[in-house]
Amino acid sequence: MKRQDKKFDLVVVGGGHAGIEAALIAHKRGVKTLLISMDKNSVGRTSCNPAVGGLAKGQMVKEVDVLGGMMGAFADLSTLQSKTLNKSKGRSVWSPRSQIDKNLYEKIAQSYIKKVGLEVLEAEVVSLYIKNNSILGVFLRDKTKISCSSVVLTCGTFLNGLIHIGKEQIKAGRYGEKRSEGITENLNSLGLVSGRLKTGTPPRIKRSTVNWKKGEAGYGDKKPSPLSYRTERFSPKNEPCYSFRTNKKTHELILQNLSSSAMYSGKNMATGPRYCPSIEDKVYKFDQNPSHVLQLEPEWTMSEQIYVNGFSTSLEEKIQLKSLRTVKGLEKVEFIRPGYAIEYDFFYPSQLKNTLESKAISGLFMAGQINGTSGYEEASSQGVIAGINSSCFILNEEPLVLKRNDAYIGVLIDDLILKDTDEPYRMFTSRAEYRLQLRSSNADQRLLEKSKKYRLLDNKTLKGLSKKIENTKKIVKHLENNNVKPQIINTRLEELNERPINEPTRISNILKRPKVSISDFKIDVVQLENSLTTHMKEEIFFEAETIIKYSGYINRQKEEIDKIKVYEEMIIPEQFDYNNIKSLSNESREKFINIKPQTIGQAQRINGIRPSDISILLVYLKRPFHVKQKK
Amino acid sequence: MTIVACSTPPGISGIAVVRVSGKNSIEKVSSFIKDSPFNKKTPLSKICFLVDKDGVAFDEAVVTSYIGPNSYTGEDLVEISCHGNPKIISKIIDLAVDVGSRLAEPGEFTKTAFLNGKLDLSEAESVSSIIHSMSIVGVKAGVKNLKGGLSEKIKLIKSNLISLVANLEFNLDISEEDLQPDLLESSEKTIKNVICWLEKCIITFNETKMFHSGASVVILGPPNAGKSTLFNCLVDKNQSIVTNVEGTTRDVVEKNIDINGLPVILKDTAGIRKSEDLVEKVGIEKSFNEARDADLILVLNDPDKTFNDGKHIHIFNKSDIEKPDGNYDILISAKTGNNVEKLKKVIYKSLVQGKAHDTLLTSKRQCLAVESSLKHIKEAYSLLVGENSLELLVEDINRSIHFLDEITSKTTKDDILDAVFSSFCVGK
Repeated sequence: MKRQDKKFDLVVVGGGHAGIEAALIAHKRGVKTLLISMDKNSVGRTSCNPAVGGLAKGQMVKEVDVLGGMMGAFADLSTLQSKTLNKSKGRSVWSPRSQIDKNLYEKIAQSYIKKVGLEVLEAEVVSLYIKNNSILGVFLRDKTKISCSSVVLTCGTFLNGLIHIGKEQIKAGRYGEKRSEGITENLNSLGLVSGRLKTGTPPRIKRSTVNWKKGEAGYGDKKPSPLSYRTERFSPKNEPCYSFRTNKKTHELILQNLSSSAMYSGKNMATGPRYCPSIEDKVYKFDQNPSHVLQLEPEWTMSEQIYVNGFSTSLEEKIQLKSLRTVKGLEKVEFIRPGYAIEYDFFYPSQLKNTLESKAISGLFMAGQINGTSGYEEASSQGVIAGINSSCFILNEEPLVLKRNDAYIGVLIDDLILKDTDEPYRMFTSRAEYRLQLRSSNADQRLLEKSKKYRLLDNKTLKGLSKKIENTKKIVKHLENNNVKPQIINTRLEELNERPINEPTRISNILKRPKVSISDFKIDVVQLENSLTTHMKEEIFFEAETIIKYSGYINRQKEEIDKIKVYEEMIIPEQFDYNNIKSLSNESREKFINIKPQTIGQAQRINGIRPSDISILLVYLKRPFHVKQKK
Repeated sequence: MTIVACSTPPGISGIAVVRVSGKNSIEKVSSFIKDSPFNKKTPLSKICFLVDKDGVAFDEAVVTSYIGPNSYTGEDLVEISCHGNPKIISKIIDLAVDVGSRLAEPGEFTKTAFLNGKLDLSEAESVSSIIHSMSIVGVKAGVKNLKGGLSEKIKLIKSNLISLVANLEFNLDISEEDLQPDLLESSEKTIKNVICWLEKCIITFNETKMFHSGASVVILGPPNAGKSTLFNCLVDKNQSIVTNVEGTTRDVVEKNIDINGLPVILKDTAGIRKSEDLVEKVGIEKSFNEARDADLILVLNDPDKTFNDGKHIHIFNKSDIEKPDGNYDILISAKTGNNVEKLKKVIYKSLVQGKAHDTLLTSKRQCLAVESSLKHIKEAYSLLVGENSLELLVEDINRSIHFLDEITSKTTKDDILDAVFSSFCVGK
């Protein structure tokens, strides 16, 4: 290929989860797209744990799927075991998770990219070609220029990546992979502010050196459900993971050698995530816990390489091994490679709009760890949005913005742009105030209209999901409008230890009782369309039941959403001068100036902003010369 | 914009205080001070001559300047303590308006302070309660809240709820295992405690409400028992019409009085009897309504103790001309004033006895917020015992916290996650 002659609309830098989603969706939407990766063979790589989904993350994978993203579909094709977590808890926090075959996952991703004809270039981007705050192209290490009008940066942990293992430091983007240099400095010179973050990964051990009998096997669900709405047949393998436990001896060894840990040796290191603490952290901060669980997960089918979930560490290799060998069953364990911590550059996401486009440079989008997040699903979510919106930028369409009550992805982006976290951001269900509405079971209902508008799904999937949604509505209507007679339901109610009914009663009223389920009523009267699969029918019944059971709470939340809508739509002009408002505290003024909230709603959610600051803003905004209503 | 107002009550007084607040208040006031020593940099308090436009001094006053944000309102502020002659006061206000100030709306100084972040909402309300409270107990509660007493208490309740939510969220959001075995029991305990605290807040608010807004005391009894005479006697003025004709008083007559320092709203009512007169019937019905809502009822000449509901004093009136026909708490003569002072003491004691003196809530708004908070935490309790799913429980607790936030500062999602991370070992 004669690179010099190449002209693209969009260049995506990085081939991780954010990068492939961004490039694939833009490509699907007809934008001439180039994906640049430093190593063609690492495209689609899962660098850390061999799993996709999980608490809050499973919901996001579903959302990505409805928005035309590929993560769920790739995972379904490489599943080692599939399980819905939190089944014993409320259904809005049910979260699907799949253990995956990491090798297979990247192979499937790469062959899919080839199949759809997305162009991939193996090269290192070192700077952006920018004039008048607009993108003209990118420069490669060998000084080649590639022209384009939009760029999505998804550099992961590669920007000035630095690996720590004990006192040893290695310049790398991932273990054994070269890091990327130049982009940070280039963007800094354009005025974008970067910081350092840290994340860690546990050691990988040899299967043959583990005494598996000492571990407790964990399997997936007997009736697993796929992550992707596009997966029609799903009967994955059910390979077990095994849990082992640390003990007093393990903890003692770690505590004695804290000084060998890159994190505890007093060196100034970037902040790591509190929700994924290193084993040093866990032992040190929670010394009341006599034991911590280690989950041994295969990295691919029957792989020799085993992932030690729960033992993320930056201790010296010798100590890692020694302390791991104190665990019952791991006495003779051997490493394939040690655990390590990695530091990397990220850009404060408050410099982005809610479309993930840079506020300063038009056409520049960022997604994934470069925005300070952590996790495949968080990356993939941003990738899809950045891909859609960069293609909107090129095609001159209105960008896609998801609200906090639309999707976890909406919560993610809103949080990112409004609060500069000092640790890698991971999604939790509790971050979503409308969690009851953001269920994994209704991602299709929430996002299908958007998907249609932006042409993100193929016709067949679109039709199937529309039909599913229609039928769900039909059943809900049936439950709300029809009565059940006492003689039909009372026997069942008594079995459940529930109060029987005296007269015909609305089905929905009885269904709201916690112990009653939709299967207790005989509602085959409702004709579901024959073309629906059994799996879809099950989902429809489940979802209808959920809608009824949660209706009280959901209606209340909807009222709240309506109430605050006026603030969400109250635009703060881009040139609004906060320096004019003397009554704001310096701290609040600085926050407003840095973050430049686009609406009063956003302004309210900035950390540390007091209600009185908002009152003051409102006073100023209500002055006629500032008011600018959204169309 | 600079605002001006007299901060002391209207009328003649020894000293009156005129306040001027706003960006250029110091310059503006300086324009009518002889040889003004004031500037925008240093706060100052000085005796000065105030001069009219013709250059003639019209008063000598203590003028104090405050430099924003170190002032009550958070902006530059000048306080002029002049002699309390209404002519002088209005002259000062006129002069301030002439140089471009505007008259402040009621409460605007405090509102400005709130907008400038000098006070939070509960503190701003305390100021109003200090000014408007009708008794010293109310003033004390107001001062306590101005120092943050209410915020502290609410913060404590909130921190209990936040750690409860953190506990539940850990189970919902992070732990992939089954629920912690003692989770539900300990949650129930916390929720019960919070319910108990919030209920107490509301009860004490209702009990001490009368210290702010006055206790309602109703005089009730058969016609011609001398209710209006007693009313006039306690009010110390001829307010209610007194005749020998039964049923003279048909509407409720009320007056604010002071009984031993306690503000009382005294109400005279229509005599209770069987009547065919439609207007009088309506009057009698009103008497009963008033009695139902009253803090205390003075029952006159009713030997049968018809209104025996625990908040009454049975009084035998006309002791100067008649003998009591039954067992009464006190004998008086409203006409001669005999024993009326003793009656006042009895009224005071009955109103105050056994009631809380100490309250945190000082406004109806605060009380409503606490009531809403209580409603949701009670809802949470019933969800918990009804084996509903945990996220719904969290939903109601969050609502409960949200209403408490209306009294103090906001709780954010990060507060909850911080609580989770600091108390649990997160991560497999």
